[in-house]
Amino acid sequence: MENRRLLTLALLAAMGWSLTNIDWDSPIIHTGGGASALRFLLALFPPDLTPEFLGIALRATLYTVAYAVAGITAAVAIGLPLGVIASGTVLRESSSWQRPVMIGARAGLAGLRSVHELVWAVLLVAGMGLSPMAGILALALPYGGILGRIYAELLQDVPQPPLRALRSSGASPLRTLLYGNFQMALPDMISYTFYRFECGIRSAAILSFVGIQGLGYQIQLSMHDLLFSQVWTLLAFLVGLIVAVDAWSTHVRRSMVS
Amino acid sequence: MQAGNQQRRRMTLPRASLYGFILLAVASWGFIVFGDGDGFRGLFASGAWSNGARFLESLLGVNSDGVPAYLQAGRWLETGRLAAETLAMSLLAIGIAGVGAFATLLMAARNVSDGTLGGRPSNIGRAAYHLTRGSYTFSRGVPELVLAMIIVFFLSPGILPGAVALGLHNYGIVGRLAAEVVENLDPAPARALRASGAGNMQVLLYAILPQAIPQFITYLLYRWEVIIRTTVVVGFVSSGGLGREFTLRLSWFHYTDVTLLIIWYLLLVAGVDLLSAFLRRTARAE
Repeated sequence: MENRRLLTLALLAAMGWSLTNIDWDSPIIHTGGGASALRFLLALFPPDLTPEFLGIALRATLYTVAYAVAGITAAVAIGLPLGVIASGTVLRESSSWQRPVMIGARAGLAGLRSVHELVWAVLLVAGMGLSPMAGILALALPYGGILGRIYAELLQDVPQPPLRALRSSGASPLRTLLYGNFQMALPDMISYTFYRFECGIRSAAILSFVGIQGLGYQIQLSMHDLLFSQVWTLLAFLVGLIVAVDAWSTHVRRSMVS
Repeated sequence: MQAGNQQRRRMTLPRASLYGFILLAVASWGFIVFGDGDGFRGLFASGAWSNGARFLESLLGVNSDGVPAYLQAGRWLETGRLAAETLAMSLLAIGIAGVGAFATLLMAARNVSDGTLGGRPSNIGRAAYHLTRGSYTFSRGVPELVLAMIIVFFLSPGILPGAVALGLHNYGIVGRLAAEVVENLDPAPARALRASGAGNMQVLLYAILPQAIPQFITYLLYRWEVIIRTTVVVGFVSSGGLGREFTLRLSWFHYTDVTLLIIWYLLLVAGVDLLSAFLRRTARAE
């Protein structure tokens, strides 16, 4: 109880400190800000529903889906091998050369996931130039880091008796992994990957801020031209896409776990 | 017979989704590689990898004259101020999301709005439920960066627009999770209190909140880990903290400064991860 009270105090103090970082002397809403906020809201009635623009929005949606799917598949390709190594199911902590490899894989996964996908995107575009591959890698690197860590945990947390039975009947570590850990962890692994796919759609949409085709790119263009009714249309496409993928992924996950 | 059919349908839905996803993956890769972009050819173009290597060298300051920024104590102090600003932005965002989600928590919980916890079901409650849930879906669906782009149109630049954008997005996420916590909590204490004549406020204070708050705090701390990673991204457009400096330095080709900012970013992320894990343990301990 004592600890909890301290926690509450610490959180409140942190909030208070963060408020002192705001520049309260200058106005919060800048000159003309109120007017543009109103204009932005009024542009909702009606959003831009001309057939040409709906075509553009649909095309941007397709781009976003394509990048999200490609990014997630590449993330699985990165996360699966690293996750298997990090899980300690094939390699052993006790071996002198296997232990550093495992620690390396764990550190690599942690490094990949600690950088946000858009920061990856900015760095990759600065380093490699603007190309679709930069966009896919920007999504695949951090998502690979997250997937790898979760895969490792899921592979570790399977019930042990079936594994012991496999081992005692002479199965090699690789066979044990394939027919034991994988068999048992697969539903959870697929279900988590689907959840990440849902997050990937959102990420793919914002990745286009570095110049890669997609909904975010179109939103940025319309914002710069102050065409707010187009922004609303694009936002509707984005939210609609996310809700649809959300529903699909929730449905799949529910039916897989039960 | 019917049970058998249902069984089969339940078995095939994930499988159909998996096949559907594989099909989608093939189509997407095909679209990107053979579509209008340059796709894989870009990856194997002679320039891409040597450019990448050159970029890494400039980040480390190999070929530049002068001391790299990340070896100068003064630059560490200057950017440290920005890191503190970024931290403040993340805390502010958590505060906004937390207050918003906490205020709407009860309206969004189905068992409160339909009276399972002992209240009287009403049309107002039902309308409030759908309205709140709708607001969660919308704010969750729009990425932080898009919100930030819209908000900088009317808020003065600084850490506030970024914090508001992050706060709004996370309001939807935390709100939904928290409402689910209330929906799943044990209804017995609330019913017992109600039966012994307690009013709405008393049921809330003594039956609902004590059960829901620890979980709520845990979710907020989890989101804090995500938010600290995103503050930099929101800073790209809202001109606060490390993010703004990052884009500026990159466009001025001050690569060793970029390296210093990345180091601060990684330090913030690692620090928040550790602190959040520690605080979550504290919140859980009785």
